[in-house]
Amino acid sequence: MKTDDIAGIVEKHKDDRGGLISILEAVQAKYSYLPENALKLVSEKTGRPLVDIYGVATFYRHFSLKPRGKHLLSCCLGTACHVRNAPSISKEIAKQLGVQPGETTPDKEFTFETVNCLGACALGPIVVVDGHYFSNVRATKVKEILEAARLGLDKGLAKDDSRVFPLDVSCPRCNHSLMDETHYIDGYPSIRITVSFGAMHGWLRLSSLYGRSPATHEHLIPKDTILNFFCPHCHAELNGVSPCSECGAAMVPMMVRGGGIVQICSRRGCKGHVLDLTGVNI
Amino acid sequence: MGQLRSISEFRALYDRLNIVRNRKIPTIIISAGTCGQASGANDLIRIAKREILSRGLANKINLRITGCHGFCEMEPSVLIEPHGIFYPEVGLEDMVRVVDAVSRDAVLEDLPFKDPQTGQPVIKQSDIPFYKKQLRLILSRNEKVDPIRIYNYIENSGYQPLIGILDNGERDWVLSEVKESGLRGRGGAGFPTGLKWEMLAKQNGNAGKYLVCNADEGDPGAYMDRSVLEGNPHSIIEGMLIGAYGTGATEGVIYVRNEYPLAIKHLIIALRQARELGLLGENILGTDFSFDIKIVKGAGAFVCGEETALMRSVEGRVGEPRQRPPYPVEKGINGRPTAINNVETWANIPVIFDMGAEDFAKIGTKNNSGTKIFSLVGKVKYTGLVEVPMGTTIETIVNDIGGGPSGNARIKAVQTGGPSGGCIPSSMFNLPIDYDSLTKVGSIMGSGGMIVMDDNTCMLDIAKYYMNFLKDESCGKCFTCRKGTQRMHEILDDITSGKAGMAHIDLLAELAEVVKDTTMCGLGNTASNPVLSTLKYFRNEYERHIWDQRCDSFVCKEIVGAPCQSACPIGTEAWRYVAHIAHGEYEQAYKVIRETNPFPSVCARVCDHKCESRCKLGTIGMSPVAIRALKRFVTDTIDPMTYKPERMSSNGNGERPIAVIGSGPSGLTAAHYLSLKGYKVTVFESESIPGGMLTCGIPSYRLPRGILDKEIESLVDENVTVQCNTKLGRDITIDELFNQGYKSVFLAMGAHKSRKLNIEGEDIEGVYPAIQFLKDFNLRGEKIAKGRVGVIGGGDSAVDAARVALRQPAVESVTILYRRTRAEMPALATEVDAAIDEGIKLETLVTPLKIRSRKGKLSGVDCLRNKLGEMDASGRRNPVPIPGSEFTAEFDTLVVTIGDVPDIEFIEGMGIEVTEKGTVKYDSETLATSRAGVFAGGDVVTGPNTVVRAIAAGKKAAAMIDRFLHGQELKQPSRAGIPGHYLPPSGLSDEELNEIRRVVPSTVDMRYRTSSFVEVEQTLSQEEAAREARRCLRCDLEFTQPAEDKAEKIGGKVA
Repeated sequence: MKTDDIAGIVEKHKDDRGGLISILEAVQAKYSYLPENALKLVSEKTGRPLVDIYGVATFYRHFSLKPRGKHLLSCCLGTACHVRNAPSISKEIAKQLGVQPGETTPDKEFTFETVNCLGACALGPIVVVDGHYFSNVRATKVKEILEAARLGLDKGLAKDDSRVFPLDVSCPRCNHSLMDETHYIDGYPSIRITVSFGAMHGWLRLSSLYGRSPATHEHLIPKDTILNFFCPHCHAELNGVSPCSECGAAMVPMMVRGGGIVQICSRRGCKGHVLDLTGVNI
Repeated sequence: MGQLRSISEFRALYDRLNIVRNRKIPTIIISAGTCGQASGANDLIRIAKREILSRGLANKINLRITGCHGFCEMEPSVLIEPHGIFYPEVGLEDMVRVVDAVSRDAVLEDLPFKDPQTGQPVIKQSDIPFYKKQLRLILSRNEKVDPIRIYNYIENSGYQPLIGILDNGERDWVLSEVKESGLRGRGGAGFPTGLKWEMLAKQNGNAGKYLVCNADEGDPGAYMDRSVLEGNPHSIIEGMLIGAYGTGATEGVIYVRNEYPLAIKHLIIALRQARELGLLGENILGTDFSFDIKIVKGAGAFVCGEETALMRSVEGRVGEPRQRPPYPVEKGINGRPTAINNVETWANIPVIFDMGAEDFAKIGTKNNSGTKIFSLVGKVKYTGLVEVPMGTTIETIVNDIGGGPSGNARIKAVQTGGPSGGCIPSSMFNLPIDYDSLTKVGSIMGSGGMIVMDDNTCMLDIAKYYMNFLKDESCGKCFTCRKGTQRMHEILDDITSGKAGMAHIDLLAELAEVVKDTTMCGLGNTASNPVLSTLKYFRNEYERHIWDQRCDSFVCKEIVGAPCQSACPIGTEAWRYVAHIAHGEYEQAYKVIRETNPFPSVCARVCDHKCESRCKLGTIGMSPVAIRALKRFVTDTIDPMTYKPERMSSNGNGERPIAVIGSGPSGLTAAHYLSLKGYKVTVFESESIPGGMLTCGIPSYRLPRGILDKEIESLVDENVTVQCNTKLGRDITIDELFNQGYKSVFLAMGAHKSRKLNIEGEDIEGVYPAIQFLKDFNLRGEKIAKGRVGVIGGGDSAVDAARVALRQPAVESVTILYRRTRAEMPALATEVDAAIDEGIKLETLVTPLKIRSRKGKLSGVDCLRNKLGEMDASGRRNPVPIPGSEFTAEFDTLVVTIGDVPDIEFIEGMGIEVTEKGTVKYDSETLATSRAGVFAGGDVVTGPNTVVRAIAAGKKAAAMIDRFLHGQELKQPSRAGIPGHYLPPSGLSDEELNEIRRVVPSTVDMRYRTSSFVEVEQTLSQEEAAREARRCLRCDLEFTQPAEDKAEKIGGKVA
C-alpha cells in the first residue's frame, strides 16, 4: 500500500464535507477491502479520529475490513427472492463454497455475501457474480454458476459467437478507411491506428470484430495507460470529449460504414465501448 | 455538445431535434434495465446492431435502448414503434426475425404475447391485460427515451416544463401548483409535497438550502425507484430543478443505493450531459437561476432511508436517526434547511407541470391524487412494475394486471410496505389502495412493494424474515428497537422450530406493542407491523405451528422435517423406506410402510400421494421421486406375513367392546388399532362384503380384488368381528348398540349417496348416479351401460365410472363432460391420462342444462359451453356460460357424479347433529360428535375424500376412543414427525441426478386393457426400483446425520 495513493484519494474529496464515505469507497475500490493501515492514514490525513472512521466503516454493510476473494458472489435475500426459495440457494452456495455469508474461501477465490435486495425482484431468486446477474436460480444451478465464475465471466466473446460481428471503420475527420487489409486479426482485416503515450509513438492494430478485444501494438503498452489516438492518414487526434462510462478516460470515436459511430475507451485494458447506430448530428 | 446560453437557444435545439425525429421510420425499442440486462437484453442489442449494419438498414430502422418497460416477467422484451407491437421473451434467433419483420413493416405472428385464457396472440402492448388496466404517467416515459441521451429526453418535450417556469413562472406559482396537484410523498408516509416545499421556501437561505432525492430504496421487494433512475434520470433532474426554483434551494443531492450500479451510471451520465448543456450549474440557460446536483452513494444501510439518518450519512457520519423537531426543513444537512423527497415524488413533478395541477389532481381519489407505482412480485403470474391511479383495488392489481397466482397454489395475502408494512389477507383484496386505507388495515404504502404470497408461503416465516432483517438493520440507538427486534425474532424462531408454547403468542404481541410505542424513528415505530398484522390476520397459522406443530406451507424446516413424511396424512416415513429400497433392504422397507399404514397394498395403488407433490426434487424443478410406485414395488415383493404388529394391551380393554359402523378404510383401520390395544371390536357393514368404497367404488383394474381381500383379511384378527348386511338406521340404532354393552361407537359409513344435478329429466331411464353404477358392477357384476355413454363430473369417481363403462361389452363410446378445464379436474392427472389413452373423450367447459328423452328413454343432454371467468374462493377460475352456445350431446347411458354425500337422514333421530352440507357434525381435533361416546371420521364427516385421509381418521379415532375410555383429556398437543433414524446416504451424484428421469411404471397393452379388468399399472422391476429410490435427495439426513459425518463432508469439499 502506498501512502501517496491514500493521500491522493483524501485530497480528491477534501472539499466535500461529507467525503468520508466516498473516501472509504475509493479505498475499498482500490484494495477490495479497507486495510487497517489505510484507515490509519485516512485518519491522519482527514484529521478525524480513527474511532470515527472505524465506526463508519463498520456501520455500513458495503465496507469490509477483511480482504476479499477474486470473485464477489452476492445472493439476494430480498423478500421477493425469499418467498421464491432464496434461503435454499444461499445454503447451497455456502455448502458448495464451504464458507458462510460474509466469509471468503481459504483459497481467496470467492467472497460470499448476502444482500437485502438487488431490485430485480421479478427475476428472483437472484445471484450476482462479479456484476453478472443470474436470474431464477435454483439450487441445482449453483454449481454451474460457480464453475462459470471460476472460468471468468468477463472473458470476451469467442470469435465465432453469433453476437460478434465485423465493423468497417473510418476516420471521423478525413473519412479515410482505417481498415488494414494486409494484417488480419481474428480472420478479418484489422483496424490500424496511430497511438502515443509519454514519449512513445507507434501503431496499434485492433480486431475489427465488435465484442472482441485482441490487439497488437508496436510498443509494449503498460496496463491502464491512457493513449492518444491519431488517424494514420490525416494525423488528426481522435480522442473525443465524452468520457468512458467505465473508467472516465476519453472515448475515441470512429465512423462505421453502414451508419453510426463506434467509440472505444482510450485506456489500455478498459473494455468501455459504445456502438451508436443512430448517431444524431446536431 | 455546446452549452446553451439562453432559453431561446434551448427552443432552437428542440426544434432541430424535432426535424430529425419527424422522419417516420420504425423504431425497435429494447428494454435494457437491470432486469432486461439480466435476462439477456445486451445480447439482443448486439444482434439487432449486427443485423441492422449487415443488412444496411441504419437509415431505415431506429434502434433505441431504454430502461425497463415494467413487464419484468416477459424480459427481454422488444417494443416496435409506431404501432406499439410488443414481443415478449425474445431469443437471439427471434431478434434476427424481428429486425427483418420491422424492415418489411410486418408482424411476427408466433412471437407476441399469448392470452393465457384464449391462447390468442395479443399484438399490441396496449391490449395486453398487464398493461391495459394501468395508467402509466411515469413509466411509459421510460419507453420514449434512451437514458444516456439527453437529446432523447428533450425531443420528447423533456425540460419543457422547466423552460416554461424559467421563462415566466413565479416562484409562488410553482409552489401553489404543487400544492394544488395534491401530490403526497411517494416514499411511504405520504406527507404533502407542496407543503414541504412551502416550508422550505420560507426558510432563510443565506447559507444555502438543500434538496435531496432519496434513492436509498432499501425496502426489499420494491424497485420502482431503480427503474425510474435507470430509465429516465433526466426526469429526476428536471423535477429537482423545478423544486429548486420554487423553494430557492441551491444544492441538490441524490442519495442512491450502491446496489444499483446501472442507476448510478446513468445518473452520472445524465448529470454530466445536463451540466454540459447548461441545464445545471451556475446561471442555468443564461438566467440568474443556479443549482447543481451531486450524487452520494449509500453504503448499504437500510436505516439511511430514514430522512435524519440519510442526512447524517450525507455528512459522512454513521447513519443514526435523530429526534425531530427540528425537522430537516429547519435544520438539515450541515445544519441548513433541507427538503427530502423520494425518487417517484420527483418523477411526478415534470408530469404535474406537463399536464397541469388541476388535471393531475383529478386522477386517483380525494386526498390521494395521481398514480402510484407498485412492484408486483412474489407468487403472482405476471410480475413487474405496475402504475395505477391511487384507489385501485388490490384485486385489480393482483388478478387483472398480475394475472392471478403463478402456480396452482391459492393466493393468500399480499405484503405491502416492506419491513415497515404488513400482510393483507386475500379476503380484503377489494380494498382500494391509498395511504390512508393501508394504514387503517395495519400496513403502510411504503415505497410500493407488493409481494404476493400463496399457500406455499408461511406467514410466520415472513414475519421472522422481516424481524431478522430489522434486527440487522436497526441502528441500535433505541434499546427497544435494538433488543425488541432481536427478541421478536427469537420468539418467532422458537415458534417456527416447534419450541414454543401458546403463551409465546401473547408475549410476542405485547413486545410488538412496546417496540411500536417506545422507539424514536420510523424504522422502530413500524418494525412491529409484520408481527402485528400476521397475528391479526393469520393467528391460526401461529396456533397451528405451536399446537399441532405443523407448517401447512412446508416452509418451517424444523417442524416439517422431511416434506414427504410431513405431507402424508398418516405420517409415513417415505424417505426411510425409499432409502431402504435404495440399499436393497426390502423387508425393512415393508416394515416402515406397514407400521403406519394397515392398507399398504391399497395405498400403493390408489393413494393420491401427497408425499410426491411435496417432494423436494419437485420443488427444485425436477420430477418428484415416484414414491407410490416404490411402495407398490415393496408391497408386491414382500409377503405381508413378515410383519407382526406390536400389541399393547392395557388392563380391562378387553372388557370394553366397541362398535364401528362401516368397514371401509376408516372403519377397519380404527378396528385394527383398537384391536392392537386389546379392545374387542365389531364392525357393522351394510353391504354383503366388507371394504366400503375400496370394494364398491374403486374398480378392480386399479385395485385387484384378490389383493384387497387379502389386506382386509389380515386386519380381521381374533379381536375383530365383521358383521355384513347390517345397516345403521335399518337394522340397528345407536341406542341399541349402547344397550348391547358397546362402550363407544365410531361412525365411519362414508358418503354413499350421489348428489343430484337438479336439472330436468334426471329420473329418466338410462340415467344413473355414479355410486349406483359402480356398485352394480363392482358388487354384483351387472353391466348396465350401453351404446354411447356420457359421464358428468370431473372427480375420480367420474373417471372410474367412465373407464368401467368402457370395459362393458355393449358400450360404443364414452365421453366425460366437465364444466371447467382439464387443469381444474379434481381427478388424479394420471387417471385422466389413462382414460384418454383408452379412448375416452373429454369435453371440458360444458354445463348440462336438461336431459332429453325419446319414448321415455334417455336420448341426450342439452349443454351450454363455458369460458373461464373470475377466480372463486378455491382459487380456481369460475366457469361462465357463453350465451348462444347451446348444443345437444346424444347419449344412451348417462352417469352423473358431481359429488357424493353421506346417506344418513336417520341419524339426527339418534342424537347426532348434522351439518348444512349433510355430513356428521364433529370436532376435527377429537373426532367427537354431539353425542358422548360417539365418534365419527372419514367421508361421513368430510364428504368424498381420499383413502389415506380415511385411514388417518381411523387411526385418530382409535386413539381418541382409547383416551375417552380411560377418562383422559382428548385434546393433546401433537409432536412434529421429524426423521430420527439414520440411514447412510444413498443418493446419486448431481450429474447422475440430472440424467436419470423419473421412472414411469409400465402398463398393460391397450389390447387387453379396454376389454378386461386386468390391473393396468405394472409393478417396477428391481433395477427400476433401485434406480428410482436413489434419486431421493434424502431430506432426512439433515436431521439424522451423525455430527462427525457432517464435518467430514464439509471439510472434504473445501480440500
